[in-house]
Amino acid sequence: MALLHALKDVRTIKTLLTRAGAEAVRSGDDLPGPEHLLLSALALPDGTAAAAFTHLGVDPGDFRTAVDRTHRDALDHLGLTVGDGLDDLPGADTPAGPYRMTASGQQAFQRAVTLSKETKPSLLRAAHIVIAVCEQGRGTVARALQTQGIDRIHLAAAAREALATP
Amino acid sequence: MIDRVEVPEPDDPEAALAAVVALRRLANQLERAAVAHALRDGWTWAQIGQALGVSAQAAHKKLAPKKGA
Repeated sequence: MALLHALKDVRTIKTLLTRAGAEAVRSGDDLPGPEHLLLSALALPDGTAAAAFTHLGVDPGDFRTAVDRTHRDALDHLGLTVGDGLDDLPGADTPAGPYRMTASGQQAFQRAVTLSKETKPSLLRAAHIVIAVCEQGRGTVARALQTQGIDRIHLAAAAREALATP
Repeated sequence: MIDRVEVPEPDDPEAALAAVVALRRLANQLERAAVAHALRDGWTWAQIGQALGVSAQAAHKKLAPKKGA
């Protein structure tokens, strides 16, 4: 059983990090950070990240729009208006080789892994990522959730509830 | 397109740092879109590298369009 869990964990982590990398490429960011990890977690098949958002009455799909809006708002603050010309970026390959992330992305991922070891069975699930990114009080995720009117503490609590729900 | 750019007051680090993140992302997006246009216009990777101040290899590694795209 332990071996099966370990294999499942490896598959989940590979899917999570590969998708997070693709999310970063899609949006033009150099490396995946916490917001890309969360976007990736929202698509994980265990569904616990999406369930946390839904529990608060928020469409999980809206987080992507909130991230984009957060960056636009920050540019607006500079008096810099960006047109729609960059909305459809040409595709680019996700870098091959070892997974790389921003420092805050690594911190969130490692925290999620630590949290996953505290639960039984000790498997990484999408909601662990939600809790981990909600612990970061600064940065794009915190700002994006704020624009959505989501309290990070409430979202983390909803994620813990999703983990406890069989 | 751009009316004016006003550097945020340093006493609002939250807004200023968020602007830095958004500007980096915007620069990357503009770079990728402009390189795609340059390639369509027949630019070589050596020319693109020169324009960006990097080697042709570095430009290609970072900005080559997705295979099959």
